[in-house]
Amino acid sequence: MAYQGGGGHDHGPSPALYPVSPESLFTCRTHNICMVSDFFYPNMGGVESHIYQLSQCLIERGHKVIIVTHAYGNRKGIRYLTKGLKVYYLPLKVMYNQSTATTLFHSLPLLRYIFVRERVTIIHSHSSFSAMAHDALFHAKTMGLRTVFTDHSLFGFADVSSVLTNKLLTVSLCDTNHIICVSYTSKENTVLRAALNPEIVSVIPNAVDPTDFTPDPFRRHGSMTIVIVSRLVYRKGTDLLSGIIPKLCRKYQDLNFIIGGEGPKRIILEEVRERYQLHDRVRLLGALEHKDVRNVLVQGHIFLNTSLTEAFCMAIVEAASCGLQVVSTRVGGIPEVLPENLIILCEPSVKSLCEGLEKAISQLKSGTLPAPEKIHNIVKTFYTWRNVAERTEKVYNRVAGETVLPMDKRLERLMSHCGPVTGCIFALLAVFNFLFLTFLRWMIPDSIIDVAVDATGPKGAWTNQYPYGRKRGGDNETSKTR
Amino acid sequence: MEDELSFSDIYGGRLALQRRYYSPSCREFCLSCPRLSLRSLTAVTCTVWLAAYGLFTLCENSMILSAAIFITLLGLLGYLHFVKIDQETLLIIDSLGIQMTSSYASGKESTTFIEMGKVKDVIINEAIYMQKVIYYLCILLNDPVEPHGISQVVPVFQSAKPRLDCLIEVYRSCQEILAHRKATPTSS
Repeated sequence: MAYQGGGGHDHGPSPALYPVSPESLFTCRTHNICMVSDFFYPNMGGVESHIYQLSQCLIERGHKVIIVTHAYGNRKGIRYLTKGLKVYYLPLKVMYNQSTATTLFHSLPLLRYIFVRERVTIIHSHSSFSAMAHDALFHAKTMGLRTVFTDHSLFGFADVSSVLTNKLLTVSLCDTNHIICVSYTSKENTVLRAALNPEIVSVIPNAVDPTDFTPDPFRRHGSMTIVIVSRLVYRKGTDLLSGIIPKLCRKYQDLNFIIGGEGPKRIILEEVRERYQLHDRVRLLGALEHKDVRNVLVQGHIFLNTSLTEAFCMAIVEAASCGLQVVSTRVGGIPEVLPENLIILCEPSVKSLCEGLEKAISQLKSGTLPAPEKIHNIVKTFYTWRNVAERTEKVYNRVAGETVLPMDKRLERLMSHCGPVTGCIFALLAVFNFLFLTFLRWMIPDSIIDVAVDATGPKGAWTNQYPYGRKRGGDNETSKTR
Repeated sequence: MEDELSFSDIYGGRLALQRRYYSPSCREFCLSCPRLSLRSLTAVTCTVWLAAYGLFTLCENSMILSAAIFITLLGLLGYLHFVKIDQETLLIIDSLGIQMTSSYASGKESTTFIEMGKVKDVIINEAIYMQKVIYYLCILLNDPVEPHGISQVVPVFQSAKPRLDCLIEVYRSCQEILAHRKATPTSS
């Protein structure tokens, strides 16, 4: 919930929010968006905060956004979050790892009821691990709504479980209108996994909340400090780190290391510390919570990233936002992330990384490094949620102009695209789903489903009752002009 | 003053809302469902009896037929007496409180009274009910221990389940009376 608090501070009562609202009047259309994922607060993680922050920024831009997730313990029913973000916690059974069981059918009555009463136009599903997201996509296509899917993770191709997930993903995404990935590496991965047309896949990176990662030069140690925050696993290059530490410590007597994170390779670092008697200069902090990361980062001058493979490295953005000089390996999508003057890129070898670090240290000693405040001010413009929301909005605009495949075309696509056996099975399931929907429409026609009162969006009831008098006046005006 | 409006419930059935304005501070709302229709009664009875007759031809025991008759009779009595609610009434009096009465098809009545001092507010809320998401009207009760807390939520019109347009009608009137009460706190 740390994010929520931060978010509230960021765009709550600040007057900077308001210039956005008249602007959204001129954009051609607003959408009714329904975010579906098994993962949402109170569960914590990257997907959860992504959905929350994106929804908040979309609301700010004048769209109507609701979130559908499953019930978490006692938290079920309908809740409202900041700025009238409406969350449906549906009473569906959780099967494994916070993901609901899927039969492809049992969630249709409730989801259909919600889609109809909220007058949803675009379904935006998140995370390929979420069964509910796939269910919602399946139902939305049957109901003829437009669909967008965001993939948050990388997969392999070799083991049994990824083969099965990839097949499921192929089926689920073959008739989805648009797919969003968080980096180019992830796009490549998804396109290959789900055998997609790359033209319908967009890349929109994640964002950092710059207010969570601010520099604080007074917390820095007197002597030079290098900070490493990563899981201590092979993929993150912990072995390289164990080579770098003794070499640099011998060369510079006033150099310290702070290492945050936990993992199977921690033992190597402990050995190194033991052998070279570096207990006072290398601090191992163990596992860190996300909210503590900033407090660790601000203690250092240089941030070192030794990853061997990386889709989109959030850690270096966070470190740069805290005003640290970043030294990193040149792998995966890392060179795209920061401009050259803020990062020193090295080959993934001990020698090259040491050279990079020495370069950074000499810059630090001569005082040619830019001030932390300055770096923060540059970085905070790079990856903002507002920017992510703008780009997502463009995807929505594009999708809104597309047509949803009618039933016969959809069946054809399923059978031609997903292999003879899987294709036929899922085509049959799609037909059953359609029949079930027809039955539901006969039982409860759309006309007797009450239209929900909008909390957000152009006619949002929430913003019209904003507690600040001045703002309320402004809002009434805008609603009149609408 | 009295008038009658026609609404529908969440299943699409008809509901009649009678409003009686006795005075500016006293109003009554009466929601009546249609009475038990002969058609559904016949349908249920016929199904039970046909099933019983089917069983009878299989095992040739006349006990089944008499059991079927008893089941239909007792079922009907129980249904009329405990389940089927014909009319739900909400009476709100400014200085006294809120009274909810539900009358069963058999004529049985059950009444709940909440005194005005306990009522915090009347609101419309949303809930997930069966495979639906519905609106309902409810009364919030003050928590005697905590001044700003809510001790209980009492739903109104539980069996009729009217749709939102009907609820808004009742809600507006209730709010008028509650506002009237708040405007003159010294008199109460």
